[in-house]
Amino acid sequence: MSGLEFVLLLAGLGVVTLPVWLSRAAVRVVGSFWLGLAVALGVRATGAYDASWLFAAAVFVPVAALSWVAGGVLLLRRIAFLLPSLVLLIYVTTLLMYKAPGNPFANERVASPQVEALLRAQYGVPEDATEFFGIYLRRLVVEGTLGPSIKVQGRRVEDLLRPALPVSLALGGLALVLAASLGLLLGLRAGLKPHSLADHGSMALAMVGISLPNFVIGAGLIVVFALELGWLPVAGWGSLRHLWLPAITLALPYAAYIARLVRAGTIEAMQQDFVRTARAKGLPEREIVFRHAFRAAVAPAVSFLGPAAAGIMTGSFVVEILFGVPGMGQWFVKGAINRDYSVVLGTATIYFALITLFNFAVDLAQSWLDPRVRDADREAV
Amino acid sequence: MKAARRSALEVGPGMRAWARLRRNRAAMAGGWLLIGTSLLCFVLPMLLGLDPQTTDPVRHLEAPGPDAWLGRDSLGRDYLARVLVGGRTSLLVGLVATAASVTIGVLYGMVAGYYGGWLDEAMMRLVDFLYGLPYMFIVILIMLLFSETARGEPLPVFVALGLVQWLTMARSVRGETRALREREFVLAARSSGAGDARILLRHVLPNLLGVIIVYATLTVPAVIILESFLSFLGLGVDLSWGQLVSEGVDVVNPIQSYWWLLAAPSALLATTLFSLNFLGDGMRDAFDPRGEA
Amino acid sequence: MMRTLAALGLVALAALAAVALTLGASVEAPANFRFVNGTEPTTLDPQRLTGQPGGRVVSAIFEGLARYDERSMDPVPGAAEHWSVSADGRRYEFTLRDDAYWSDGTPVTAQDFAWSWRRLQDPSFAAEYAYILHFVRFAEEYNLYGGQADRLEAVVETALPALREATGPRVAAVEWQRFAAEHELADLANASPDPEIARLLAAESGEISLELAARTVGREAKRRRAVFEEASRRFGVDGGVFATGDKRLVVELDAATPYFITLTAFYPMLPSPRWVIDVPGNELDWFLPEKIVTNGPFRLESWRINDKIRLVKSPNYWGRDEVRLERVDVLPTEHQATALNLYLTGGADWLPGSYPSDLVDVLRQRDDFYAQAGLSVYFYKLNTTRPPFDDARVRLAINLAIDRTEIVEEVLRLGQLPATRFVPPGMVGYPPPDSPIGLDVERARRLLAEAGHPEGRGIEEIGILYNTSEGHKKIAEVVADQLRRNLGLDVRAYNQEWQSFLTTVRNLDYDMSRYGWTGDYVDPNTFLDMWLTGGGNNNTGWSHAGFDRLVAAAADVDAFVRSGQASAIGWKRAARVERAIAAVESAAGADGRRLALARLRMEILREAEAILLQDGLPMVPVYFYVNSGLVAPEVRGFYMETVKSDGARGVNLQNWHPLRGIWIDRAARRPRLGG
Repeated sequence: MSGLEFVLLLAGLGVVTLPVWLSRAAVRVVGSFWLGLAVALGVRATGAYDASWLFAAAVFVPVAALSWVAGGVLLLRRIAFLLPSLVLLIYVTTLLMYKAPGNPFANERVASPQVEALLRAQYGVPEDATEFFGIYLRRLVVEGTLGPSIKVQGRRVEDLLRPALPVSLALGGLALVLAASLGLLLGLRAGLKPHSLADHGSMALAMVGISLPNFVIGAGLIVVFALELGWLPVAGWGSLRHLWLPAITLALPYAAYIARLVRAGTIEAMQQDFVRTARAKGLPEREIVFRHAFRAAVAPAVSFLGPAAAGIMTGSFVVEILFGVPGMGQWFVKGAINRDYSVVLGTATIYFALITLFNFAVDLAQSWLDPRVRDADREAV
Repeated sequence: MKAARRSALEVGPGMRAWARLRRNRAAMAGGWLLIGTSLLCFVLPMLLGLDPQTTDPVRHLEAPGPDAWLGRDSLGRDYLARVLVGGRTSLLVGLVATAASVTIGVLYGMVAGYYGGWLDEAMMRLVDFLYGLPYMFIVILIMLLFSETARGEPLPVFVALGLVQWLTMARSVRGETRALREREFVLAARSSGAGDARILLRHVLPNLLGVIIVYATLTVPAVIILESFLSFLGLGVDLSWGQLVSEGVDVVNPIQSYWWLLAAPSALLATTLFSLNFLGDGMRDAFDPRGEA
Repeated sequence: MMRTLAALGLVALAALAAVALTLGASVEAPANFRFVNGTEPTTLDPQRLTGQPGGRVVSAIFEGLARYDERSMDPVPGAAEHWSVSADGRRYEFTLRDDAYWSDGTPVTAQDFAWSWRRLQDPSFAAEYAYILHFVRFAEEYNLYGGQADRLEAVVETALPALREATGPRVAAVEWQRFAAEHELADLANASPDPEIARLLAAESGEISLELAARTVGREAKRRRAVFEEASRRFGVDGGVFATGDKRLVVELDAATPYFITLTAFYPMLPSPRWVIDVPGNELDWFLPEKIVTNGPFRLESWRINDKIRLVKSPNYWGRDEVRLERVDVLPTEHQATALNLYLTGGADWLPGSYPSDLVDVLRQRDDFYAQAGLSVYFYKLNTTRPPFDDARVRLAINLAIDRTEIVEEVLRLGQLPATRFVPPGMVGYPPPDSPIGLDVERARRLLAEAGHPEGRGIEEIGILYNTSEGHKKIAEVVADQLRRNLGLDVRAYNQEWQSFLTTVRNLDYDMSRYGWTGDYVDPNTFLDMWLTGGGNNNTGWSHAGFDRLVAAAADVDAFVRSGQASAIGWKRAARVERAIAAVESAAGADGRRLALARLRMEILREAEAILLQDGLPMVPVYFYVNSGLVAPEVRGFYMETVKSDGARGVNLQNWHPLRGIWIDRAARRPRLGG
């Protein structure tokens, strides 16, 4: 690693951890700045406003001002952390890609050095990682594009990801709903009567989901439901019928985790004092479970939903390949294997945004479900 | 309940946990199965003189029989040998990657939790940052990084998988360490002039054993599954359960099913993961009895 | 509590609604014919493209001067209605069809072809397939000489003065040779008519005056610059390939080239629409469905990456009455089990090769399975630049210790032929040379011992490198095991994904590495010229001056005979060639001479292959491919066997299946799964 790369990495880490040292007032300023910048650039990148800088500035000022005045410190602290993280992520990924052997311009028939230089200039992929990082950031910020793909010629990365994102969201969304419902069902069944037959049965069922790689489960489902019974198509995309098998395959391991968490949560909740009191008062079991114990029982599972959603989105490539689904997961693998640098960075960026978003949503849900978390947050502020 | 737990720890957390674990039949069964499988994989090939490499293409895809108990693969190699030796790799991948992640995670978490303050904050920020990375993707990039020099050696897989698994470990170790830091015996050690390193190793680490064991037991199956994904993509190690399973998946088909190619590695893989998961759950219950009746 | 459930339910509903919305948009008519293409083409620009998946699509939407007839696989008139050739075989005149139109209504003109072929050779366009037309006058000069002149000038202006600074005005020949190799002077100045250059490059003893070297190289640079400038001015305008009218195209060749007409149907030579590409901003993406203009039997309707490419019949293609498919779906499915499942459930009608190879025993018993000899060789490159394969005896020993029959009959099981030579069989008029290769373990052991490695001692672990793939893995593992069993060597098979693989091979950082070579046209030359010194696909470090001279001679046999170099070349096994030369010299009439020259050309190539096998052997040929796959019985106009116009039967070596000729016979439809 060159000296410059090392210094830049350290600087990046510094900026990312910076909010730790800042006073509350400073966090407000830094967070508002980043938020304003992100929103302004985001709006500009949509291209709807002819990419005018004046317009970006016009967005930046009110957004930054508003968040400075009205934004919660907690939120701003998070933003002051997240956006530099994204930049650091791009740099780290760039370094990793450049260190890997091979380059996107290697083909079976060898290009002369001049030709390769020509292609590198054309695609904006210089031989130095940091230089590429600079070009990439400029593209992202100034031009509002994720850059051209090298191996899928003629398309920009956003052209590849835009049609793939709804596919992944649809597949992942359905899988998440399936995983949550199945996990909840099995977990409650098991947790309400620990060590009963229902418990062992439910848990054994759930364990299947994490005891085999999901491509094995998927292949099994294909053989049974698509090839033998002919109920569903074997692969492809285009109708709701195409969605069930990959969604179930994707959901099973997560359903298993959720079931285990719900089970543990339920067992713990049922022993809380307030449940005992409710029982002593002679309330019907059903009401005890749903009115009193439920929130506490699902809280751990809800906090898992964030990572689960992220995992379902990022981990879907195996399922996509197996079922020929044109989602985002494939780019994630193909980009890396083809050394298609812009595709790699584009997918990494989108995933980072998704993971962040999910975790944020989960935090909100959690503070709503569990008053203690809410209070802890207040204290932290 | 908190009080009970504390006293249990001080009496001898290991013994108490062990006693509780022994009462958990599912976990114990898991443990025995695991030991059995490991013995099978590490000892049986030597005892029977099994050879996973010698090809005999004339006898390709022979069904299981008295000569080859689990049949033969497409190059006529003894499938029993391949499954067992592949299991060796898978178990090793699980163990080594877990060991790596535990080492990193424990050191990192202890330092952050023990020193606290801005160092803790900064270190945890870094963990948060790493949580934001799509980890499978980092694994793939690391694998590519090594692809030129590895020559099919499994080491890069160990490293790559270990490197992405330590975050949760680090977080929970940090939490425990923070709690331990304020405890009487640590304070006492400090006032008697013990150095930080000594306190961490002699007083903090032993009390972290519970957390470590629980996470380690649950990390091993996660790593084994991850390796199978890599194998599915053609980036895994030479011969492992993941590799065999991903090859076996292709030949189970209504027109012809060489079922043993999928069934044998899947059964062993599933048994192992089943056992590890049950054992892990049991360990968690044993070390942290709050959730259990 | 109920609120929570309601909220969860709402989220679930929203997710499902999103799903329904994303899916609801796509309602389109089902295709008549769907096939698995194995991967997504990187581009649909004919001059930019390489690889069969893209070739299948591009050949359906564009049409060259000639096209392949689906029954005979011979070139038949495509965009050109007819053509004539001069007596010396060097000048072709094509007359284009009056009713050939682009999909936007523009007539197809001779200028379109001249422009597209010039584009293929444009040095700044850097097409990978440029070399394939280098036999056209001015083509190679336009394509390469400018860059070579640049680099020679750089040698004169910077590298030579630096050397002079370091060593003084004269250097020893050894030192000079090292310098020449480092700067690839032999490559840059090949085929120079300047005798000084040849002398300079061949210098093996004594001292070299750097001033003389600078003058000579500078002269060559200037010469190349001048030739480049002339070629650049004339190629595509009034030389090489040019229009003499809207519908008349002239092509001039450096030498009579028997496979030229066949090549005009090959995808790099298909025409591109200049007026679309020249629009600013279109250069890199003009071939996307919303912009593309085509002249072939089909049009590109849509291209959803990782999902499918939809082709539709072109309503203004001149031969539209012969095109019977209305809609074609091209599926990029990469996972082989998925591809097979698609075929079995009717989601695809043609599956070229992408099925799990372990299922071959069952598949080959099916009526809808086909397997036919192909034009490809599967081999391992041997790295001749480092031990143990720097020793020719070890290379031969490896070749003798591998049991190809076992690989072909027990591993591949599709009727592949064991390869004991490099050029696949089936080349008309090509007499294969004798080969020293075959299974002879005893001799292999003796050779190893002679080379100082009795029982494999002193040889460190040999790595067999292959690019990630189930099929390559199997073969590599069997070969490793055979070498282990037969020679007691320590061998390990290992894989890398494609991009790492290419880099490793190019850096000569391997011992043995898998490769496959598919002929671009049916001629031995396409298999032999990859072994030229410094050839882009040689990558073994092997170099043989005699071999290079022979391949160069075969490119222009006529000039070779006239130049009188024939006797000067000094080969060892020349009897057959001598006879062929004598036959040329005594041939009667232009036709007789042309035939004799063609025969001589084949003899020279045969001699080259003999050198490759007997004096070099920088590789281990393993087997000659078969093309195999599954095609549904209702698919008609799909032939693995060719029938020439004179009734002669042959094999569809290149596995071309023009979509133009395919049609669906519904009556022949049968269930593909079970009974």
